Amino acid sequence: MKRREFLNQLGLVAAATSIVPTMSFAADAPKSKGPNALSYKAAVEAITGGKAVQTSSKVKLKVPEIAENGAVVPVTVTVDSPMTDSDYVKAIHVLAAKNGNTRCIDVFLTPANAKAMFATRIKLGETQEVVAVVELSNGTFLTAAQSVKVTIGGCG
Amino acid sequence: MKVGIKIALCVALLSSLSFGGEQFAMSDSDRAMYAEMLENNPADIMVENGSELLEYMGGDAGFAKYLGISEDDLPAYIAGFPRYIEKFGMVVGIGQVVQAMMHDGGHKPLKLKSGNMFDIIAYIKSIANDEKINIDVNANKYMKEAYALGKKNFETARGGRGLSCLSCHSADIVGGVLRTQPLPDLSVKGVAVAATWPAYRMTKSSLRTLQRRFQGCMKNALLAVIPLGSKDMVALEVYLTDTAKGATIAIPGLKR
Amino acid sequence: MGKRKSLIKIKPKKYKDGDVVKVSFMVMHPMETGMRKDKKTKEILPALYINDIKFEYNGKLITSMKVWETLSVNPVFTTYMKINGKGKLKVTYTDSSGEVNEKTKKIKPKKG
Repeated sequence: MKRREFLNQLGLVAAATSIVPTMSFAADAPKSKGPNALSYKAAVEAITGGKAVQTSSKVKLKVPEIAENGAVVPVTVTVDSPMTDSDYVKAIHVLAAKNGNTRCIDVFLTPANAKAMFATRIKLGETQEVVAVVELSNGTFLTAAQSVKVTIGGCG
Repeated sequence: MKVGIKIALCVALLSSLSFGGEQFAMSDSDRAMYAEMLENNPADIMVENGSELLEYMGGDAGFAKYLGISEDDLPAYIAGFPRYIEKFGMVVGIGQVVQAMMHDGGHKPLKLKSGNMFDIIAYIKSIANDEKINIDVNANKYMKEAYALGKKNFETARGGRGLSCLSCHSADIVGGVLRTQPLPDLSVKGVAVAATWPAYRMTKSSLRTLQRRFQGCMKNALLAVIPLGSKDMVALEVYLTDTAKGATIAIPGLKR
Repeated sequence: MGKRKSLIKIKPKKYKDGDVVKVSFMVMHPMETGMRKDKKTKEILPALYINDIKFEYNGKLITSMKVWETLSVNPVFTTYMKINGKGKLKVTYTDSSGEVNEKTKKIKPKKG
């Protein structure tokens, strides 16, 4: 299908290193006035302390292309890592670039997890990119992002 | 389908109905992702709640005893609901049997439209997981009557838009999508809908039974909402369960 | 201590020491963002969401999570863990009201 091929190509293009993972829909101002509201850029900085974040194929982010329902969007992040005491994933952060509070969850793993994977379901207020920012035990940050189309509607 | 209803359908749904629209077609990988969600269905917690509530009333053994059957026969028996039960002299759904059991036990019965009741219904139906739906609409005159009434209710146009269930859930519309949801053709046998309800509805963040879902759909189609457990509602459930006859029960389901 | 309903699932159900199993923690919680209005009263429903979860296996903290109100209602949290002895997996979760709950699951590895 043409549209899906196009989306796949988009993923190949975004292979650059940057301080803040570049995206087409980055929003700087928080949408809402909730007490936890935090822009995408600020959220990433809070996680990385300004350190470089590298887009990496080691981070596999699984989200639907089209969310059946914006209130329950499945997200799975898997990171290729040996999860040994000297080389493991310290944290997996999930962000939603256009939500008022762009932070969804911060998961802190240990070698006892044996596999670097985390899955949950998040709320998406509108079509936007879901981003995984991963911190490794050596202090480096990796990332992967994917856009999710949120359809409006509700039959009952 | 009559011309008049077709026109009413066009007018009412033109803006929301789309056919094979690229933007609403669900990809195989998305479908797989949503199927995976069944592994950790929030409704699992509700089913466990239902199990605990039934325990107070005697558990599986107590329920089987109340129905006058052995515990071994319980799964297959449940896979045949709604059924005619001589003790009550009418065709009933699982919820009504639970109410009767509570009443006979000297307790105030739970309302059919209550969270705890939905949980108990879901747990009881889950006892029949992996069984094939074996409803027998020809078992006796009451079942035959219920089936006929259910079919009539399904096919009769009523309400402000002149819609019947068949207006949207039929072979004419099959393949169509209403607000991102593919409309199942419920007019033919083999559609397993009844085998995956009760289900967790994501938009409602709660467990819903099939009858409760009918109510929601009726409200949206501007049809007068029929009460849960009423003769008409049980009849509709009989009709749609027969449509799914032979399908393997797998609940709780997960729906938008 | 609150009395919320939750469930810990381990997959596969049968495992041995050294196996890596999938662990899911599911809980019934409104995860209210504090930005929704009650349909009837039109008043803002106050924020109430799980904000912290800790997974302890035989007393050792193996995973912790900082959770935001952007997670779905009745959330589920899935990760993996290596089986390392008989005992208990304890999940302690706190919400924004300060309510603390815990759920425990026995870990019983099979021999051989």
